[in-house]
Amino acid sequence: MTDAKQPDAKQPDAKQLAAKQEEAVDPSAPVTGMDYFMKLEYHELLCPVVREFADALMDKRLIGHKCPKCGLIYSPPRGYCPICTVQTTKADEIEIQTHGIVTNYTVVTPVQYYGQEETEPFAKVSLQLDGGGTLSLQDLPGVPVEQVHPGMRVEIVWAPDDERHVDDVTNRSWGSAEGAIRGWKPTGEADADPSEYSDKTF
Amino acid sequence: MSSQPAAVIGIGQTKHKKKRDDVSLPGLVREAAQRALDDAELNWTDIDAVVLGKAPDPFEGVMMPELSMADALGANGKPMMRVHTAGSVGGSTALVATHLVQTGVHERVLTVAYEKQAEGNAQWGLAGGRSGGMGAGGIFAPWMRTYINKSGAPEDIGWKVAVKDRQNACKNPYAHLHLPDISIEKVKESPMLWDPIHFLESCPSSDGAVAMVLTNEAGAKKAPRKPAWVLGTAMRSELGTFPGRDTVRPLAGVECAHMVYDAAGITNPREQIDIAELYVPFSWYEPMWLEGHDIAGPGEGWRMVEDGSTQITGDFPVNPSGGVLSSNPIGASGMLRFAEAALQVRGEAGEHQVADAHVGLAQAYGGAAQYFAMWVVGSSLDAVDAKK
Repeated sequence: MTDAKQPDAKQPDAKQLAAKQEEAVDPSAPVTGMDYFMKLEYHELLCPVVREFADALMDKRLIGHKCPKCGLIYSPPRGYCPICTVQTTKADEIEIQTHGIVTNYTVVTPVQYYGQEETEPFAKVSLQLDGGGTLSLQDLPGVPVEQVHPGMRVEIVWAPDDERHVDDVTNRSWGSAEGAIRGWKPTGEADADPSEYSDKTF
Repeated sequence: MSSQPAAVIGIGQTKHKKKRDDVSLPGLVREAAQRALDDAELNWTDIDAVVLGKAPDPFEGVMMPELSMADALGANGKPMMRVHTAGSVGGSTALVATHLVQTGVHERVLTVAYEKQAEGNAQWGLAGGRSGGMGAGGIFAPWMRTYINKSGAPEDIGWKVAVKDRQNACKNPYAHLHLPDISIEKVKESPMLWDPIHFLESCPSSDGAVAMVLTNEAGAKKAPRKPAWVLGTAMRSELGTFPGRDTVRPLAGVECAHMVYDAAGITNPREQIDIAELYVPFSWYEPMWLEGHDIAGPGEGWRMVEDGSTQITGDFPVNPSGGVLSSNPIGASGMLRFAEAALQVRGEAGEHQVADAHVGLAQAYGGAAQYFAMWVVGSSLDAVDAKK
């Protein structure tokens, strides 16, 4: 395992970056290029199984589909098992538990692209939920990045009722639903044994 | 389906750099295409069809660029195809062109791949414009960490790959990064981008293009320079996420490798392949693919890095061109692997030429390490048999 230390140098934020670019402009130099920002707004209709997943999130429930053939659990549900190539339906729906184990993580040093709001290194984790089911790209708000590690036991933190939404759930979602799931918090229990998660990276 | 031999008779690439503000997008692709035609001593009118590949359109914000580039690529009134397979696209594009020749659909096909990263923002594109984008490195980092944990590889393996590829790039005039004073210390001291990946263990953002001319056996025999014969092709894909997926050694990558070895008649890849150009955008992917494509046994890939086998003078040189770690015009990065393997078996790689290279493997991967494209090229149609 490599050293998990993060770089000390702070990334400049978008404003600092813009100010820096401003400084670098030589008014007498010929124009060779210019930034052009365009915007395209569209509304994505959710396919029926993802709609059911989104509706369940609004009820503070996590659901998935269990393949009737191989037993693998897909959450969010896909409506099919791509391995067995069989369709899954409402009859295959199961409730997913809202606590589990961190199986893996990434600490991202944010790049300041247009629209980026993150300025400090942040962590995203993969979860193996108790009883089956996996979620990727989840947040551990309030947990310092250097404390994030595989084996942590965590439980869900739902967004408050009046703030909860599923606008960010898409048909291509890997389980990221920040409008409904604020993140996950450590339960304080002892770490899971590596045998419970070491073969589960998503 | 009947199949006939196909060969690469022309190769051209641009100098890859941070920003090519001296050319437009069509100008960039035309530069590479013209060099490939010059190499084959052919004219635009000799080409029957054009196959173009690049990474997703939001990377530059020019949608369906193949339509507006038809002019620059001499494709008006000719069949033109666009290939989309994320980061592996350069490889898949070359394979589509190859198959058009092998099946006898066309006699001479021009294939081109490019990216002009400086005209857009790939991080923005990958994040769909939203905050908190992971970047490709953020997706791959946990898998690299899992490889390290499982294989027990020492942490300096990644640094060694980063140094080796940058030293190789110094021998390649087209490579973007020329870092003659690169060292293990410098890689280790560079900022951590996505633990375990340091800044110098990651690929750059590049502008660049590459092109090849492919033709059939009759065309290859008329070619002015030595052809590189395509001995085997393979493409495989799998879902990017599903429970139980092996992200370190994806099944699609294993099966793609065996498919291409079988097609080329390779029974022992480590012994029968002279040089490999593998898609290694982050240092740890070199040992991961050596194992993931059964060139090395489980847990043995990092030992090939450690004992110097993958250096340009080793018994299994990997990325003598400097690889993706030294030049990353994303859409072109896969085709550069294919073109560099072809240059090697033609004996025309210049200063980064591997001695006695007769059989070359090229690989490109994309998406969440879920799309794979490979070819084996040889200095003759029986180059693999000659090794048995």
